[in-house]
Amino acid sequence: MTCDELRDMHELYSLGLLEREEKGEIDAHLVRGCDTCRKNLKDALAVNAILMSFSPDLAPPARVKRRLLASLGVKRAGWGWLGALAAACMLVLALWLGAEERRRASELADARHSLIEISVQRDRLQQAIGFLNDPETRPVSFGKGQPAPPRGTVLVNPRSGVLLIASNLPPLAAGRIYEMWVIPKGGTPRPAGLFHSDAAGTALHILSGPLDIGTLGVVAVTVEPESGSSAPTTTPVIAAPVAGL
Amino acid sequence: MIFLKFLPAGLAYAFLQVVLRFKEETELARRLKAREPEAMAELYDRYGRLTYSIIYRVVRNTAVAEDLVQETFLRVWNRVHSFDQQRGALGPWVLAVARNRAIDYLRSIDGRMSAGALELDRMENPALFSGFEDSALSIDRARQLKNAFEKLTPSQRTVIELAYFEGMSQTEMADRLKQPLGTVKTWVRSALKILRDELIEAATA
Repeated sequence: MTCDELRDMHELYSLGLLEREEKGEIDAHLVRGCDTCRKNLKDALAVNAILMSFSPDLAPPARVKRRLLASLGVKRAGWGWLGALAAACMLVLALWLGAEERRRASELADARHSLIEISVQRDRLQQAIGFLNDPETRPVSFGKGQPAPPRGTVLVNPRSGVLLIASNLPPLAAGRIYEMWVIPKGGTPRPAGLFHSDAAGTALHILSGPLDIGTLGVVAVTVEPESGSSAPTTTPVIAAPVAGL
Repeated sequence: MIFLKFLPAGLAYAFLQVVLRFKEETELARRLKAREPEAMAELYDRYGRLTYSIIYRVVRNTAVAEDLVQETFLRVWNRVHSFDQQRGALGPWVLAVARNRAIDYLRSIDGRMSAGALELDRMENPALFSGFEDSALSIDRARQLKNAFEKLTPSQRTVIELAYFEGMSQTEMADRLKQPLGTVKTWVRSALKILRDELIEAATA
């Protein structure tokens, strides 16, 4: 189909509502770098944002923001003496409620935290399943036969990006984090996101976004300062050659 | 239909949130990418209200809407490393994630899961939300779109509503409306063409 014939479909495409065949047509134009379709898609995304903003205006309860920020570890701003007084009142109240109430509050907070964790995990697993189900995904194993860890698989997909599944990652020192890099053939490493491993040394990390697999050379992981680096500062712990996939 | 039956004051608030800020968000995006939780507070202050409005519009349940707002912002937090802080537009991205989370929820309770969830996931890719033209997200464009929407027939409005706020494919719309698929496709495409033509006409006037 031509770009003109696809013009009526970009809004539905960007809403995830096109049937498989029509979606495939637009995918094909975008993957081969069609500027007209890319511009039409941007226009459709802008139209979507504006149309959605026409929704009747509603204010969320204040607790929504509190819960969100609490899940990221943000403490509420101080209120001077009022905050101290409130804290004292809270302490008295907490004592009055007794140990049983405190235990229940703690359990509720843990449950809420767990729910958020589960939500985040579900999100990542959903992305990973998308990778694994896509016929265009190409896997590359690394670390096989090596005496030292880590081991795992890098999966690359021209439309979805890079999925890294690693095990035996060494524990990190305080203030350090793993950083993934995508390195074009003969090019400079491009940051591809920060991640931690779990207690068992396993990690699942995703770089979302279209990827020119033809120019890709290596997917690597280094240990960096916790804020991340713009270029690798240590020797890679993982270097998976992905050229020629 | 509640869609678009808003008051001028609501219009001004919602539009200002989305369309005026995106040029000023480079620093906010940088702080989000640097994992500064306070940047998330600022992002919420900008888009939390509109996000809640959109999600509630879809799910019609306050408790669910509150959870989905939190999920929306956590999703943005977890994926912001792929966002283009120089050329990206945070607002359209956040709104797309919000709409898709709500639609995903709606589909899950309707038993409409399947490949659609993955497609929604793909359309939240932050890389998509960069490189907008200045005119694409402007107050003028929003007004033009509002004017254009008022020109749609009831059938055209219905299918746009079903697509944006119920996440229905054209086949699902045909089932719901008990209309031939071809008729539904004609309504959808003619509606989108009216919206698009109005924008083009205004841009060239």
